[in-house]
Amino acid sequence: MSAEVAGTDWRGLDRRSLAASAVLSFTIVAPAVLVLVRIASANDWGVTPTVLACAGAGVLIVLGTLVYDLLRLRTTSWRLTGERLELRSGVAVRQHRSIPRERVRSVDLKADPVRRALGLAVVKVGTGEQAGGEHAELTLDPLTRQEAEDLRHALLLRAPATGAAGAAEHERPALAVLDWSWLRYAPLTVWSFIGAALVLGAAYKPLDALGLDEGLAESAWKWVTGDPWRAVPLILAVNVLAGAAGAAAVFATSWGRYRLEREPGRLRLSRGLLTTRSMTLEERRLRGVELAEPLLLRLGGGARVKVVTTGLRKREEKEADDVSVLTPPMPLAGALELAGQVSGSALPARLHGRPKAALHRRLRLGVVETVVLAGVAGLLDLWWLPAWIWLLPLVNLPIALLYARAEYRALGHALGERHLVSRQGVAARRTVALERRGIIGWRIKESYFQRRLGLITLTATTAAGPGHYDVPDLDGSAGLDLAARTVPGLLDKFLTKR
Amino acid sequence: MTTLRPPRHAPDPRAVACWTAERLILTAVLAAVVVPAYWFLTDRPLWLGAVTAAVLLACCAMSVIGPRMLYRFQRWEVTEEAVYTRTGWLERVWRVAPMSRIQTVDTRRGPLQNLFGLADVKVTTASSAGAITLHALDAAQAAELAERLTAITQATPGDAT
Repeated sequence: MSAEVAGTDWRGLDRRSLAASAVLSFTIVAPAVLVLVRIASANDWGVTPTVLACAGAGVLIVLGTLVYDLLRLRTTSWRLTGERLELRSGVAVRQHRSIPRERVRSVDLKADPVRRALGLAVVKVGTGEQAGGEHAELTLDPLTRQEAEDLRHALLLRAPATGAAGAAEHERPALAVLDWSWLRYAPLTVWSFIGAALVLGAAYKPLDALGLDEGLAESAWKWVTGDPWRAVPLILAVNVLAGAAGAAAVFATSWGRYRLEREPGRLRLSRGLLTTRSMTLEERRLRGVELAEPLLLRLGGGARVKVVTTGLRKREEKEADDVSVLTPPMPLAGALELAGQVSGSALPARLHGRPKAALHRRLRLGVVETVVLAGVAGLLDLWWLPAWIWLLPLVNLPIALLYARAEYRALGHALGERHLVSRQGVAARRTVALERRGIIGWRIKESYFQRRLGLITLTATTAAGPGHYDVPDLDGSAGLDLAARTVPGLLDKFLTKR
Repeated sequence: MTTLRPPRHAPDPRAVACWTAERLILTAVLAAVVVPAYWFLTDRPLWLGAVTAAVLLACCAMSVIGPRMLYRFQRWEVTEEAVYTRTGWLERVWRVAPMSRIQTVDTRRGPLQNLFGLADVKVTTASSAGAITLHALDAAQAAELAERLTAITQATPGDAT
């Protein structure tokens, strides 16, 4: 069927888009009507003008959306030739954009419930250009489900997607599929604790504008100050419960129907309950894997796997999820196994620790931090703050020292058959297995204090991910040996052994 | 005991004068802002004058000492296989990039460097963190080196990632 998708004829988008935008614009109409009713009842307009105003607002919004969508449909066309995917678009400003087929790295099919019901999907084709800065992405909104699937196959598989292949797709064993018991890891984020409060804060203004407040805030405040011993724990409990429920809902919608599988030469990830994302990562661009264990998730025994790859577009500011994430939060054992499977070789089971000097450096930093805090407290005490300000440095000292110790224990490294593995971090622990052939240079850094302790920070530069991965506070001599063994032939000529 | 041996070449000796001039100009600009501000905008208290003078003197001292310390530690080397540099003073940094991974080679010379007949050679790799700069070489030598590096990297196969 890719023969049908590819061709020299320009093709339009699907007309059913009109139905989708009609339904979607109705969801905009509803709040508009609500606001109008509110204004009308406040001004005592009477029944007929109210109904007329509401109907007028509704028709205007829906009509406007339909007209715009019709114009957009008439002016947009696309085609897939042997070499390029081309898109002509623009109602006011005409655009002609094209992407060479061999540069296509990701194809996302998104379908909200309305488009899904109509059998439509929005296709986003990305080249994953990291350097250009410009957003190299084409959006086809919408195509029919079948067209979208065919296009994805044509762009990423370069092979026809027949019905038989489609069936075989689901028989191929997956590297990972969603296990709904993983839902228990969903609330293990900071968002569970602050999410509900943030949503309330954001919702307060609009609700206030609609007049739903009516002294609610004052009475709530009276209740809290009147009976704080019962009210505060209750509010905190409700906050956490609501936050956890929200986190679980987000988990379910974004990771429902999650499936990770290996096609020849590439990994394919599809996920999402309401909008389906389908991404393809070419294995030849893979430079390693990362195991991410944020504090709460780690305490719960979970982890998630990310990829270290070149040419993946950077996380966008508006985008909620990181494009390099390969799995939802899942049990640590499963995550480790999957990381091994994705990276193509077993990762070293045991990591080596660091010299004691690395611990001393961190402990010293904790003490310095406390001394600075005490200095600030002293200054404030001189001026106007009460004496309890001195409790701050006092409480800080043991916490800082314990944290320093935890940080030291988190540090670990090992040299695998094909990977350099490095672990660090307490609040956001990550273990990166970087492919040795993906290392394209070294940076060895020695700060003044490190030099006195005989430590170095070894940094491997790579084209993948953030561009560099650090292995901090190695013993100077051992660190250089590690670098020399990791990439044979690169550093040896610059080393002297005594 | 494994240590890194220093790269073979030092920057051109004119670098010290060039860097000193650069820093002294910056200090002069700072003075041109701070001194009139002190004279016209404040009541000219003695302590503020002393602080201003001390800061400017420290800047002058650093302008003279800093480049000399930097020069003592800064070194570079280009072999058939790799580019290797050592920079820094309090925080020391060694950088290595293999020839096969080098993507671009530029020479750069600012107006002041032009005056002293110096140039930098900047080598970039596919990593956003992998750029290496060879500071303050003789301009002719820098041009020749850049040409040689370009020739070597073009002869090396691979997409450098």
